[in-house]
Amino acid sequence: MTTTRRQFLALTGAASAAAAWRLDTAPAFAQSGPVKIGVLAAKAGVLAPVGESGLRGVSWATDRINAAGGILGRKIELVVEEESSPKDTVERFRKLVLSDKVDVVSGAVSTGVGLALGPVAEEMKAIWLAWDATTQKGVEETMPRPRYAFRSTDNECEAVMASILTAKSWKGKFRTVAGINPDYSYGRDNWAAFLAIMKKYGIDVQVVSELWPKLGATDFTAHVAALQQAKPDLIFSCFWAGDTPIFMKQAHAAGLTAGTRFVLTTGGGVHESLKKAFTPEGALLGYNSMYFEHPKASPLMKDFVRWHQEKFKEWPNYESDHGYFTIAAYRAAVERAAKAGGGKWPAQDAVIQALEGIEVESLSGPRRFREDHIMEATFFQGVTTHRNRHDFVTIDPVESMGTKQIQKPTGVGLYDWISSWKV
Amino acid sequence: MAAGLQLVFGVQRILNLACGSFYALGAYAGVSAVTWALGVGLPAPLFVLVLLAAGLALAVIGPPVERIVRTIYERDESFQLLLTFALVLMFEDVIRFVWGTAPHQTGSVYLVYGQLRLGGSTVPVYNLIVIAAGGLIALGMGWLLARTRFGRIVRATAENREMAEALGVDLTRVSVRVFTLGVALGTVGGALVIPATAATNEMGIELIVDAFAVVVIGGLGSMRGAFVGALIVGVLKAGAVATWPEVEMLAVYVVVIAVLVLRPAGLFARATA
Repeated sequence: MTTTRRQFLALTGAASAAAAWRLDTAPAFAQSGPVKIGVLAAKAGVLAPVGESGLRGVSWATDRINAAGGILGRKIELVVEEESSPKDTVERFRKLVLSDKVDVVSGAVSTGVGLALGPVAEEMKAIWLAWDATTQKGVEETMPRPRYAFRSTDNECEAVMASILTAKSWKGKFRTVAGINPDYSYGRDNWAAFLAIMKKYGIDVQVVSELWPKLGATDFTAHVAALQQAKPDLIFSCFWAGDTPIFMKQAHAAGLTAGTRFVLTTGGGVHESLKKAFTPEGALLGYNSMYFEHPKASPLMKDFVRWHQEKFKEWPNYESDHGYFTIAAYRAAVERAAKAGGGKWPAQDAVIQALEGIEVESLSGPRRFREDHIMEATFFQGVTTHRNRHDFVTIDPVESMGTKQIQKPTGVGLYDWISSWKV
Repeated sequence: MAAGLQLVFGVQRILNLACGSFYALGAYAGVSAVTWALGVGLPAPLFVLVLLAAGLALAVIGPPVERIVRTIYERDESFQLLLTFALVLMFEDVIRFVWGTAPHQTGSVYLVYGQLRLGGSTVPVYNLIVIAAGGLIALGMGWLLARTRFGRIVRATAENREMAEALGVDLTRVSVRVFTLGVALGTVGGALVIPATAATNEMGIELIVDAFAVVVIGGLGSMRGAFVGALIVGVLKAGAVATWPEVEMLAVYVVVIAVLVLRPAGLFARATA
C-alpha cells in the first residue's frame, strides 16, 4: 500500500492537532487532585503470585493511608499495570508516566524487567520504587548511580543468609552438594555465592551435580533422576515460585527427601504450597524479608496478616511487605520534604532527597532506603517443622538477620565482599 | 517419563497448534475436578478416574472448534498455522479468565500410590500409571486405526479424500470425529500429567515447542513416528540433564536438524509424503 502525499499531510496534520489538544488540556494544578501512584504487578506465569502479593501490600497500605486522610490531605489513587516482558513493561512504565501522569511508580519483581526499567526511570526522570528485581549482574552497568530508581534488597541476601546458617549449623555433617537453580542470573549468582561462602567457612564441599532448569519449568523428573544418581548429602535450591512445590513433590516421590538435607533459600515465598505431605522436616527454608507467623510480630503485621487471611483465605508472603514499604516510604518522604519546605507539596527533587536514608516501620519491622537507593530490611529463615495448625510446613525457631550483615555494602562487589569476611 | 504422554500429541499433530491448548485445558479441568471430588469426599486413590473423566468430558469442545477449523481445510498450510495459533492465544485468555493466572496444583494426591523400588532407584507409582496409560492409549489408537471400520475409513480418507467421498464417506462427520478424538487425546493427556506438576497459563505454548520436535523427528501424521519421536525427545532431554545440563534443548534440535537434513520427511514418513 502506498500513501499519497495528500493522505500523509492529512495524517500528520491530525496528529499534531491531537498533540496540541493534549498540551492544552494538561492539568494545570497537578497538586490539588489525588496523588497518582503507578503500580507494575505481574499477572501471568510463575511471577503472577508474587506480583499479586506485592499488589496486596500496596493496596493495604493505600487504604490505610487514605482512611487516615491521605498524604498531606491528598488521597492516593493507584493505576495498576501489568509487569510482563521487559519491552512491554517499559512501554507500560512510559504510559504510566506520560499518559497517566503518576507521581511515582511502585513495582516490578523480575530482574530482566528491572534492568530495563532502571535506565528508563532515569531518562524519564520518574521515581521508581522497585519491589524486587535486582541481582548482581548488569545492575551496576545499567544503574550505576541511580537518581530516580530505588532498588530493593539484593536478591542474594537470602542465599548469603542460608549459606551462613548452613555453615554454622551443619558444618561437618555434609560433604557432597548438588545445586538445582533456575537458569538465569538469580539462580547462577545464588549458587556461586553459596559455594563462595562454603569456602570462606572452610567447608570442603564436593559438587556432584549442578542443574539449571529454565525459569518457570514445571517438570523436574529428569533433574530428580540426575540427583538420585548423584546422591548428594545436601541439595541447595533458590527456587522461589511455583517451581518449588513441584520440585519438592517430584523429589519426595522419588525418595530424595529421605536422607538428604535441603536448603531452600527462597521457597517461603510460596510457603502455603509446601505441603507437609512432601516437604520434610529439618530443611532450611527462607522466607525472604517477612515471616507471616513470627512469634514476635508487630501489631501492624498482625493487622495485615488478619486482613489478608480474612480477605484472601491465604497467609501472606514477603512480597507484600516490599509493596507495603514502597508506599509507606513514599508517604513518609513526601511528609518529611513538606515539613522541610514549609508545608507545601514538595517538588520531586525534595522527595528524592527525603527518600534517601528514610526509615519507616514496615510489616516485618523497620526498613529503610540507603543513601545509594538500596533497601535495608530483616530476613527470616529457619528449619522446617510439621508441628503447626496448617497443612504446610512452617519454621521453628525463626532466625533473623539484618541486611547490614547479609547485604554487600555500597560500592563493593558481592564476591569481593564475601572474601573480605572474617569468620 | 513425559515421553509417554507426548506421543498422544504427536499422533493428531498435523499443523494443529491448538493441541497445546487442549493439553492446558485438560490440565486445568483436571485440577478443578480433583479438588472438587476430594472436597465432596471421594477417596483419594480414585482421583485418576476423576482425571480421566474430566479429560474425556472436555472433548465436547471438539466439534465446535472443528467447525471453525473446517473453514481452512482446503487452504494453504500457513493459514492452518495462523488460525490454530490464534486459537492457542484465545484459549490462553479463556484459561486466564476462568482459572486466573496463578499456577494450579492438586496438593499431594500425586503421592497416594506411594513409591516402588526398581533396581536401586525409587519410582513414584503414579508415574508408572501414566506410562501405562500412555502405552494403552497408543495401543488403543493402533487398534482403532488398523482394525475397526472407523479406522479404515479414517485411513482411506487420509489417503485420498476425493476417492473416499466418491465412495460414500461422509467427510464432514469423519472430520468432526477425528478432530474430537484428537482433542480428547490432548485433554486426557493434560489431565493425567497434572498431579506431578502444576497447571500454568503458558503450558500450552511450551508443549507446542516440544511437540514440533517430536513431529519433525517422527514424521508428519505417522503414529509410530510420533511414538518414537516422543521417546527420542524425552530420552535426549533426560540424558542431557543428567550429564550435561546446558545442552538440554540443543541436543533435541541437533537431532531435529539431522533428521531434516538426512530424512526430510521424518523417520517414519509415508512414502507418498
